[in-house]
Amino acid sequence: VRGPARLLAAAVLAALAVALAPAPARAEADVTRTRLPNGFTVIVRENPLAPVVALSLMVRMGTRWETAENNGISNFVHAVMVKGTTKHDGGALADLVTGLGGRMSASGDVDYSEIRASALSRFWRELLELTAEVALHPKLDPADVDSERDWLLGRIQRQRDNPSARAFDDLYLALYGDHPYARPVLGTPASLRRIDHAALVAWYRRFYRPHMMTLAVSGQVRAAEVVAEARRLFGDLPGGPRPPQPRSPAPAAKSQRLVVEAPAQQAQILVGALAPSLDQPDHAPVKVLATVLGGGMAGRLFAVLRDREALAYTATAFYDPVREPGALVLYLGTAPANAERAEAGLAREVARIRSERVGADELARAKGFLLGNYAMDRRTNARQAWYLAFYDVEGVPDDYPERYRRAVEAVTADDVLRVARTYLRAVTTFVLRPPAAR
Amino acid sequence: VTSAPLGRMRAVRSRPRRRSRGAGLVALGALALIVTGCAAVGRIGPGRAEPRRTVLPNGVVVIAQEHRASEVVALQLWVRVGGRDETPPELGLSHYLEHMLFKGTPTRPPGSIDRLIEGLGGQSNAFTSYDFTHFDLVLPAEHVADGIELLADIAVNAAFPPDELEAEKKVVLEEMRLLEDNPERYILRRVYELGYAPHPYGRPLLGTPELIRALTRDQLNAYYKKHYVPKNFVLVAVGAVPTAEVRAIAERTFGRLRGGDGGRAPLPPLRPLDRHVQHVDVPRPEQQAYLGMAWRGVPTADPDVYAVDLLTSILGDSPSSRLNQIVRGELGLVSSIETGYGAWEKGGLVTLNARLDADKLARAERAIRDVVRRVREHGVTADERDRAIVAAEAEYAFDIETAEGLAKTYGEAETTWSLENERRYLTRLRAVTAADIQAAARKYLGDDDYAIVRFVPQGAGK
Repeated sequence: VRGPARLLAAAVLAALAVALAPAPARAEADVTRTRLPNGFTVIVRENPLAPVVALSLMVRMGTRWETAENNGISNFVHAVMVKGTTKHDGGALADLVTGLGGRMSASGDVDYSEIRASALSRFWRELLELTAEVALHPKLDPADVDSERDWLLGRIQRQRDNPSARAFDDLYLALYGDHPYARPVLGTPASLRRIDHAALVAWYRRFYRPHMMTLAVSGQVRAAEVVAEARRLFGDLPGGPRPPQPRSPAPAAKSQRLVVEAPAQQAQILVGALAPSLDQPDHAPVKVLATVLGGGMAGRLFAVLRDREALAYTATAFYDPVREPGALVLYLGTAPANAERAEAGLAREVARIRSERVGADELARAKGFLLGNYAMDRRTNARQAWYLAFYDVEGVPDDYPERYRRAVEAVTADDVLRVARTYLRAVTTFVLRPPAAR
Repeated sequence: VTSAPLGRMRAVRSRPRRRSRGAGLVALGALALIVTGCAAVGRIGPGRAEPRRTVLPNGVVVIAQEHRASEVVALQLWVRVGGRDETPPELGLSHYLEHMLFKGTPTRPPGSIDRLIEGLGGQSNAFTSYDFTHFDLVLPAEHVADGIELLADIAVNAAFPPDELEAEKKVVLEEMRLLEDNPERYILRRVYELGYAPHPYGRPLLGTPELIRALTRDQLNAYYKKHYVPKNFVLVAVGAVPTAEVRAIAERTFGRLRGGDGGRAPLPPLRPLDRHVQHVDVPRPEQQAYLGMAWRGVPTADPDVYAVDLLTSILGDSPSSRLNQIVRGELGLVSSIETGYGAWEKGGLVTLNARLDADKLARAERAIRDVVRRVREHGVTADERDRAIVAAEAEYAFDIETAEGLAKTYGEAETTWSLENERRYLTRLRAVTAADIQAAARKYLGDDDYAIVRFVPQGAGK
């Protein structure tokens, strides 16, 4: 189960949940980074191994800049953008992409929005050109606004019908209070109904500016050719005032317990806590902490609560790297009859990690898992392109992966104990379970 | 995932495979992996290393290929046993074994296997299907010997510790609930059931709650000893390791295993489908309705498999497919619609699943039949055929991006058809004409020849 509905951003962050670590130095060697005069950034990774190409075009636009009033607008505008350009309607666009053996999609996220695409590498020029067309010349047809709103409302409904997705949404709401990370990327039915065509156009124009955009390309391509093509397609885009970084109210840690009843076969039990952003020194120790607790089948939640006590089917932890305060979430999916004991078991594990140092073996395993998974996660061109664009958008230095790897390796048992005590002091417990009558 | 797909959407980590998803396959852990029958499109391009297939004297098949996409090695054990080999009282045993194998052997205490793999920075997974059971590891390449030794150990020495075995019952029962909670996966399960029953391909791979609760260690062990024998094993190793090294390790591990004959029982014939007979409405808690349909396809070895594959792709494999353009786009009857083709060694099923509002169920079904009828009567265009072939080519190219993706195409081929067929797949696909595709539609997608399952909201899902 990929768990969260909101931060999961296309499996992307689920992968990162316990797996953020560095690129192997070798992989970075083939990466070139170019900043065009108008501020547009192009990053290319040459990878000759398979005849494919993947790209990620990210723009600094997302939930982080949204308000309760226009919540979901970043994702909404991207849904409309892929419905047609000034040159091609949605059907023609889909046909063109399919004809490249490719795919393209677009969505919003918390810290960025993304157009992602891939194809057979012999079609890389066509793919890049279509991506530029969607990014720079979307039609944003009023008729598409209504149909996409309906489609998104259906998605929100489906999300509400999915017990784990709903539980994650509700947990974030409780955890983050007035901070924009409280709000779902999809928006709410009320906010989507408020967002009209004019609002979408204004939002698009505010953010789609060259210095707000990063293009990353990975695959069987030549960097010089890709950069030249990117210059042709994006280089003439006029710059403009840079929108200010959003000022968000700092969320306050608090202890609370919330219970919601909803029809489901499973009960969902979540414990969430505010955690460091990805550029803070405590990020690495909290990643290790999350891995000790919920990293894979040897993680404590899985090994103890699922394997030993059979109190849960799903038992894992999430901690996604984000620009502002992150969230460490411990998650159990279980049979309703086991819910109380599972919740007690989860509380026990939280208390244990806050009172006892982890053993040397366990710490070594967690680090191996964390770093190994990260290497595993970077095997495809699509993931490589995503990582390259993501790090650029998050504003971390070029050598962030290497720094990060060293930081993870340096984490001690004392560090884990310290961050457990710091960040798991006040937790939000959220339980979603079927009505007792069933 | 918030996403507005334009081309085919790919979940980045476990990529949905085109031909069929979700229905017949059960994964270890919570991952819902994907069913694929005729799997990958097998083109071995010029200059590409080829897989080396060896049969050890005891019958174990070893397939190895050096692949330097990254510094990892994918190690996979494929066992020729699955849902189709179970007698009615044995339902769910193949899957239960899948859960129990990583639990330990006499020399590996419970929990130690997971700790070993994860401590090496590796990953493990397993899944069960009708034709095979699969265990896989991805490890840093320097640990190749550890990995193969582990697979050979669990292949015949699994200990089934009694308390682990009992505890796992709750996990499997939970997995049943989880499947049932997910309408998109569950409707495919129901469609498979209706599309195949009483053939074993229609049975629940998870078993039933009653059987799982009553399962004994002796019963499980007998099933294990019968089916987990060298003649049923296929070891696939793809990664940054020379093939000679893989073979040498395989010989001193898998090569020493002994065991019985492991023959498979014959299967009953498949019956034709009729929408008036194979029709089930299921009340569900969701607010949206779901529609599942299934037509009888062909098994992997049938020459028509290529035409049916392209037909399925043209009908519903992408946003530009006919069903998407017409039923979702023009008519607005569904919010999503997708087809898949699950081809297995002894049978195939073309499936469709759609999400929609409940009041549109009947109209959507009629519209789908109209779309299919038009293909039967007027065929497909050369352009549609060409694009379906490019899509298949891309499918293959993305499959071989990773070591485990490539390994999976080989293992699946070896257990559900043949490595040779797999490698010629794309060539054969390219030989299919638009007329062949129309002929396949006429032969397999008759107006009434399908099973239908509808999930109807009961208004409880507030």
